[in-house]
Amino acid sequence: MFGKPMKTWMLSALTAVMVFTLTTACSSSNDGKKPDSGSKEKVITLRMIESLTSPSRTALIKASIDKFMAQNTNIKVELISPPFDQADNKIRTMLAAKQPLDVLEVRDLNVAEFVNNNYVEPLNDYTGSWSDFGTVTAVAKSVASVKDKLYFIPNGLYQRQLFYRADWLKEAGINAPVTYEELVNASVKLTDAAKNRYGFSFRGGPGANGVPDTLIQAYDADKINVDDAMFLKDGGTIYSSPEAKTALDLYVKLYKEGSPPDSINWGFQEQVQAFTSGVTAFLLQDPDVIQVLGENMQEGTWATAPMPTGPSGKAMISAGGAGWGITSHSENKEAAWKLITFLSSPEENTQLSKSHGTVPIHSSATEDEFFQKGPYKTLLDMTNKPDTFINFKPPFEYPANGQWGTVAMESGQAMLLGQTSVEDTLTKWNEYWAKAKADMNK
Amino acid sequence: MIALRKQRTYILLSLLPALVLLLIFTFYPFLQGVVMAFQNYVLFDLTNVRFIGFQNFVTAFQDAKFLKAMTNSAYWVFFSLTFQFLIGLSLALILRKPFKGRGVYQGFIFYSWALSGFLIGLIWKWMFNSQMGVINDLLMRIGLIDTRIGFLSDPDWAMSSVIIANVWYGIAFFAIMLLAALQSVPADLYEAADMDGAGSIRKFVNVTFPFILPTIIATTLLRAIWIFNDPTIIYGLTNGGPAGTTHILSSLMLDKIIYGGDYGMASAIGVTMIGILILYTIFYLFVTKSEKVGDF
Repeated sequence: MFGKPMKTWMLSALTAVMVFTLTTACSSSNDGKKPDSGSKEKVITLRMIESLTSPSRTALIKASIDKFMAQNTNIKVELISPPFDQADNKIRTMLAAKQPLDVLEVRDLNVAEFVNNNYVEPLNDYTGSWSDFGTVTAVAKSVASVKDKLYFIPNGLYQRQLFYRADWLKEAGINAPVTYEELVNASVKLTDAAKNRYGFSFRGGPGANGVPDTLIQAYDADKINVDDAMFLKDGGTIYSSPEAKTALDLYVKLYKEGSPPDSINWGFQEQVQAFTSGVTAFLLQDPDVIQVLGENMQEGTWATAPMPTGPSGKAMISAGGAGWGITSHSENKEAAWKLITFLSSPEENTQLSKSHGTVPIHSSATEDEFFQKGPYKTLLDMTNKPDTFINFKPPFEYPANGQWGTVAMESGQAMLLGQTSVEDTLTKWNEYWAKAKADMNK
Repeated sequence: MIALRKQRTYILLSLLPALVLLLIFTFYPFLQGVVMAFQNYVLFDLTNVRFIGFQNFVTAFQDAKFLKAMTNSAYWVFFSLTFQFLIGLSLALILRKPFKGRGVYQGFIFYSWALSGFLIGLIWKWMFNSQMGVINDLLMRIGLIDTRIGFLSDPDWAMSSVIIANVWYGIAFFAIMLLAALQSVPADLYEAADMDGAGSIRKFVNVTFPFILPTIIATTLLRAIWIFNDPTIIYGLTNGGPAGTTHILSSLMLDKIIYGGDYGMASAIGVTMIGILILYTIFYLFVTKSEKVGDF
């Protein structure tokens, strides 16, 4: 087939390619350890991944990282920013495959899962060396902890409040609702399908469990176990009380009589879009929508109110958040911690909170005038009335919480469509959490 | 003799890189997937990975959602394929004869094929939106409806709506493939038919159709498999909702991974899908007499 010279030539070419591949493969795996003869100091490369990505937030984080690198010339940071929808999956896959990764954005939703699989490093031993740790709020620490151990430093906190169309309410002569019952009644009153106007920006798609869970918790407020808020003081789940049935009936009424029928599928985007485009009057959301509302709606047409309360005049509120943690397999933990303390410093964190619309993690920052007025004021007002707005920690420690959103969404949709009854749905939810507790204590 | 053996060794050596790549990136993941189908493999708890026999399959076949996804898959493939093919064929027949602006028109028709399925899902999701969507708005303006339809939220409408989006997506494929086949029909066959006094229907049945039949068989076979396997449009449009009424097998598989982290169950669904596809292909090739396939 081939002449001898040709064959020899090709064989040597093949060998050359293989040798080249092998040497480059070896040298690249040595990259981090090889002393750099060019500079005096060893340059450490930190690989960092974020989860709650959005173009504007990524730009803010990148600017902070650049500042950090200018101050620390021996540390180089590579930021990975996957699209938001796939980010958590990407992080999970990278962790499972032990790919090089030093700093990662851990979320309240997945911290238990990461701790369970031993992916993240506890930070308690590191915090002693950080002078700003003293002003980190208790809520921020609580969000980031699993069983007394701190696993990340939040980069911002999220807390829900009620956004409403001030102009519509004034026109209809309705006051801003204080209780859930008032909210539902106002929603029904404002609904006029012929005009394509509805009361409530309902969310039946991804993230649907937020409203029914807090509604039921508000109705259970006198019986609830604040430290384990999916359960009552008597040990049963929050879905096992008679109040839960009343609350869920109200929730179904809110959808059927006061919300767009289409909203059974809606997620975050549609829910916010319906409010900004003048389809709905009420929206329960985190402060990160403040910027969107400010950009898309006329001033004076919208305002904020505290979370609605239950029949006993109390509401259960919780803060959520995400933040920076260190992977347990990182080889540059000290440098990673240095980066985290820089990003979490009062200056950097307050700046991110202002630009991105989150609650800052340092108590010193709330004195800033920016957070004393407008839509942020309601959040502070809620914090200042701890007897009415009872703070609880969401069930992030339960591995079962990871799947709860999907389970609640699907069974909730079946209930709203009338395929299953309110009672059967409560039974199902009750069983899910009873099992979650049993699995946890195994 | 020695030369021959040397040559063989050389050929094998040359093939080795390709074979190794194929093994690593195609066969290993495939086999791993089959193994996972028999494991309890949930990402939330990797400390508890173990073999559980056919348990994943048993759970799947007892799950109403899985059974619903099976029937939905059948509807999804049958209606999507039928309408994509019929409309694609009509367009190809229209585009066969040259007319002014044909190139531009062709460009518009083939455009959908250049978009990603996920993106198409997102676009149609806003179009179908009952409060803010353009479809409801148009229907109301024309006066066809007086109350808005929840295309994606009403279980009676949801499956038809995702199929409509999928039909729109796939028409271009048939139009492109069938137009190419039509253009290769020799002109003298039509001349001969003209001399025999055949009308246009007769010409289509006796000349055009037999000539493009191999292409039709090959494209419909391929397309059915793609439609069956492709969850992107459903993922973007409804994500299987409301209440799981629009899941097909592939979107349900994706759902198990993304929202449940349950790789074992997802793999079991994947293996079931492979089984269905093998049966389908054997049946299809048998019915359509396979020797005609291939030369398109």
